[in-house]
This record gives sequence, structure tokens and C-alpha cells, in this order.
Amino acid sequence: MLKKNNFKTVTLGSLVLATAIGGLATQAVADVKIGALYPLSGGLALLGEESYRGLELAVDQINENGGVQGETVVLETGDAVDNNQAIGEARRLISQEEVKAIFGTFSSARAIAASQVAQLSQVPYFELGAVADDVTERDLSYVFRTNPAASNFAETIINMLVESIAPELGIAPSELRIGIIHEDSNYGSSVAKHQRTFAEQEGLNIVMEEHYPASTVDMSSIVLSLQDNEVDIVLQTSYQDDSVLFLRQANERGYQPKAIIGAGGGYSMTPTANAVGHEVIDGVYDVDFTQFAINPDFAPGVEEFVDAYVERFGESPRSGHSLMNYVGGHAILSELDQASDLSATTIRDAMTGIDIPVGTTAAGIGIKFGENNQNERAIMMGMQWQDGELVTVYPEEASVADIRTHQ
Amino acid sequence: MDLLFSLVINGLMLGSLYAMVSVGLTLIFGITKVINFAHGEFMMIGMMLTYIITTYLGIHPYLTLVFVVPLLFLLGIVVQKYLIEPLKDSDEHIQIFATVGLSIAMINLVLMLAGSNNFNTPSSGLRETLGLGAATVLTGQVVIMLCSIFMVGGLHLFLTKTQMGRAIRATAQNRNAAQLMGINVSRINMVTFGIGIACVGIAAVLLSPLYPVNAQTGQSFVLIAFVIVVMGGLGSIAGAFYAALIIGLVDAFAGFYLGSSLKDVAVFGIFLLVLIFRPSGLFGNARKLAHVS
Repeated sequence: MLKKNNFKTVTLGSLVLATAIGGLATQAVADVKIGALYPLSGGLALLGEESYRGLELAVDQINENGGVQGETVVLETGDAVDNNQAIGEARRLISQEEVKAIFGTFSSARAIAASQVAQLSQVPYFELGAVADDVTERDLSYVFRTNPAASNFAETIINMLVESIAPELGIAPSELRIGIIHEDSNYGSSVAKHQRTFAEQEGLNIVMEEHYPASTVDMSSIVLSLQDNEVDIVLQTSYQDDSVLFLRQANERGYQPKAIIGAGGGYSMTPTANAVGHEVIDGVYDVDFTQFAINPDFAPGVEEFVDAYVERFGESPRSGHSLMNYVGGHAILSELDQASDLSATTIRDAMTGIDIPVGTTAAGIGIKFGENNQNERAIMMGMQWQDGELVTVYPEEASVADIRTHQ
Repeated sequence: MDLLFSLVINGLMLGSLYAMVSVGLTLIFGITKVINFAHGEFMMIGMMLTYIITTYLGIHPYLTLVFVVPLLFLLGIVVQKYLIEPLKDSDEHIQIFATVGLSIAMINLVLMLAGSNNFNTPSSGLRETLGLGAATVLTGQVVIMLCSIFMVGGLHLFLTKTQMGRAIRATAQNRNAAQLMGINVSRINMVTFGIGIACVGIAAVLLSPLYPVNAQTGQSFVLIAFVIVVMGGLGSIAGAFYAALIIGLVDAFAGFYLGSSLKDVAVFGIFLLVLIFRPSGLFGNARKLAHVS
């Protein structure tokens, strides 16, 4: 009797245990593993982490709504602290973690290095934040990009100048004397190259062009040259330190052009405005990824995004990078949910199905992969510092304020 | 004419800033024979300290000199005693690697603690512009100019007129002979390293109201500081001062007439010419160079 009972208990126990293990195992296999490759430590950690937070929010939302093809999405992070480590981490994610795809990367140099690895292993690589042309211009069939690229920077800058700023100033665009200054890495040089092309198409008058190393400690000779050439409109493509240095030195030397238009994070971040002084940066223009002072009719969901961000991370977003990563990540994961399976070729082919018009995502961008798998509906926003806040002023349907010119 | 005047003033202001950063480096180089690749990072630490003390105590940035300079002096002594001194009998390359390693460690320590954010020391009126004829300068720049002259003069007096100064110079001339004369060479090395780092501490305090600081700030200044030290003659303090002014002027003029993209070509071109025609530097002499190598 006792024996029989014992036997029963043991059998039952093993059954329960086996089911439990089996259950665990099925669950572990069933999760959809996605690599998240960002610089999470080192010099680029601040915006790298900001970008990663956007992807995390996208994954949270997808999982709340039933995951991808019924399975929970799990993010496996890789820390792309430099180019070598980006390659190493991409290899680890692919061979050890066996991720279905890699999302990243914020930094163009890291993206270019790591996406090469993904292409060789035929694992889809989705770039949500790096802007250099070369990310998509290398004929890599598994590399997609949802965010706007360097050419979009230049295009928006020149269009905003021609369509909005010049009319507001009451001067014909061709009569404005334009000076281009930029830091001399791949980023600054490629934006400047496109600025020249678009400016020439519009018949604008570029009177000066100079580049400098981003680590420069003195820009007074550039300010003197701009003054000497009587430049009306300064286009600067820069990181944070050189943005601060230029705006300070221009102000201190009493140089007041009709407009300063910056490109990128150096001009968008509040710490820059704090360093330069809000009265000095007032009126300065900036073209960048979508920020948060934008018309919600053009960017439906942006307010909900900020609420979700604050709830999850306990602070307001530090830049628009999280928003751009969120929108890109969410669109791709939603599309994967519709796909038949998660093999690399299916994922790759499914991407042609994405067709989201401009003005319908939380960042205002549309998504449709075109030539070289670059999102041809990616757009930048034109913004202006007004009373201590960076507000969207261009294009008009996205704007929340009118352009202010200081004559 | 106005333009020329502006360029000269800009060049001198930039030059005296470089001079402040370079003086400590040339002192350490000349006396202890250590090439201190972490020099810029000591400056970055000094700027961080200035920022922290200024914001927490709410005092004028210049008042932080009383904290920052002694702290950096001590830091210098500790580094010399526990990092450089134990390596004194090993190959020179090992010492170089040690300071490079120290530099990387310091940058990453700050990245770990403070992230890659920029910190702005309040300008406290030091960014006010002064009209100097056609040129404009900041009050903080004028202070840097004056202090660099005092610093160079003060160090010169210290090295020539005091007992400690003479002991330091004796050590520089011949370590073994100095030791035989009863000079405690390792103590001299410690004090010299401390003074060199304290000098860059002064530079850090004066620079802080004018430049934001982040973990990488030291890197922006240190390469040009090495050029200045070599150009002025290894270990020559007056040489470093004049070389810094020359580099500042070349930077300003080349930046305007050749463009910012080519100004480094001019700076390093002149540096190469000096190396070819006066390998011991503008103000160094062959004896010193032979001694260093």
C-alpha cells in the first residue's frame, strides 16, 4: 500500500516536473530574440542609451499587444563601445544568442562596421538612428534604415532657408550670402557636401566654406572670416562642443548673421542651450530628428510616447533619438507580426510590404524602403530656439510656432 | 590694419592659454624625464573639480584655486610615488605605457562616474568682452595672459633662487651626481611632478569659466602642448612660453588666411622645420636633449 502510494507520488512528481521543464523549454525556444546593438558605455553612451530606450518602449508596446506572431519579443543587448567591439558584439549576438535580427546603432561608424558582419551571416540589420550615407550605400541586401540620412539634413536645411526663412527676412534667397562651416569627420563632411549640392540646385550664393576638427579649442579665426566675407546665413554641422564654442565666440565678437542654422544633436540638446545661454541661442535654427515640440496632428502618438517614456524611465526624454528609434522599431516589429515565419529571407522580403505615409507616425516620418533599403519617406524637422525651447517651425504642417527673425 | 590687430590679439590670447597648459608638462619632462601622456587628463580632473566646487559651494571659480591646486599637487605626488617611481629602473617605454594607461583609466573613470555630459562652470563675469581697439577679448582671457606670465616668471625664480629649485635643477643636470651630493632624488622627482600637475591645476581653474569640460577635454589640449614643449626645447620653461605664443599666432593667422582646415598644416609644418633645423628646440640646447634620450 505504502509502496503503491509512493510510486504514485513519484510518478506524479516526475510528470509535474517534466511538464514544468518542458513548459520552460518551449517558452525559452518560443521567445523571439532580437539583438539591440548600441554604445551603452563610453563617450557615446548618453545618446546610445537614449536610442535604446526608444527601442525598449517599442518592444514593450508590441509585447502588450500580443508580441510577434504570438511570441514575446526579448531584447538581447550588445555594447558597441567602439568599432571593434561593435563587430565582436554583432558576432556574439548572431552566433551565440542566435538573434533573428539586429537593431541599432546610433553611431554611423559602429553601424557601418557591425552591419557588415550581419550581412555576411545573412541576418537582417535594422538601423534606426545613424545618419551617414554609407550605412545604406554599400549594396547590402540585409541592411535597412528607417531614419533620415545625411542628405535629408541638407535637403531640409536648404528648403527651410528658401521656403521659410528668406521670405520671412524679405530677401530673395539668391541674394543671401551663405557660409558653410562643419566639423571634418565623415558626418560633417557628408552633410556639407549635400548642402552644397542642394544649394547649387536652388541657385544660392555660397561665399565661404570651412571645416575644422571637432576637438578644436578656438574658432575665432572662423568667426573673423565669416565677418570678413559678410556672411548672412551660417550653416554649421557639428557636435556639441564645437556648437557651443562657435555660438559663444560669434556672440562675443559681436557677429550677428541673419540666421544660423545648425544640423544635428549639437544644436538640439538642452545642455547646449544652457552652456551658450538662452538669450544667445534664441532665434538660432536647427534641423534634426523630430523633437517633442511638434504638432501632434502631424505626429500622432508623440504625446503618448512621452507619457510612456516618463512612466518607464522616470524622466523626460533627453533628445529625439528615443522617438526615432521607437517609431522605426515599432514599424518593423509590427510588420514581422504579419509575416509567415521569422527566417532571414522572409524578414527581408516582408520589409517591402511596409507602406506608412508621412504624418502618421509619432515622429511624423513615413516608412517605405526604397533604393538601397533606405527609407525614402524619412524626413527631418526644422526647428528654432524660442524662449528657451526648441520648437518645430518647418515644415508648416508639423510646426507649432511661427519663425521669428531678428533683423 | 584692424584685422591684423585682431588676429595678433587672438593669437596671443590663445598662445598664453597653451602656455599655461604646457608649462607643467615641460617641467615634468625636463626634470623627471617622464613623458606624461596623462597631462591633459590631470587638467580635465582639475576642471571637473573646479566645476564641482564652484557649483556646490557657490563661490567664484577663481577661489577654487585654494582647493584644486593643493589637491592636484597631492595627486601628482601620489602618481609619481606609486606609479612612476616603481618603474624608474625599467625601460623608458614602460613609463610611457604607464602614463598612457593612466590617461585611459582617468578618462574612463570620469565617463563611468559622470557620463559623457558637458559641465559648464558658471562664467561669473569672466566672459564679459573688453574692447581693445578693433579686437575684442574676454576678461577671463586677459587673466589667463597675465597669469601665464606670472607663472613662468615665478617658476623661473623658484628654480634659480631657492634651495629646492637649485636641487631640482641639479637633479635635472645629473641625477647620479645630485644623489652623491646628498640630494634625495626620488623626493625631488615627487615634488617636481607635484608642481607640474599643480601648474596644470592653475590652468584648469582659469580655463573652466571659458570652456565646458567633459571626460575627453584633456585630449583637445594635450597634443598641441606636446608640440609646444618639443618646439620650446625639452624642459625649457621660457622656451615653452615663447613657443606657445608662436603657435598661438600661427594658429590665428593660418586659421584666417589659409582656412581652419589648413591651420594645423601650418602649425605642424613649422614644428617639423624646427625639428629639422633645431632638433633641440628653439630654446633648448644639445646637452639637455642628449641627457633626456
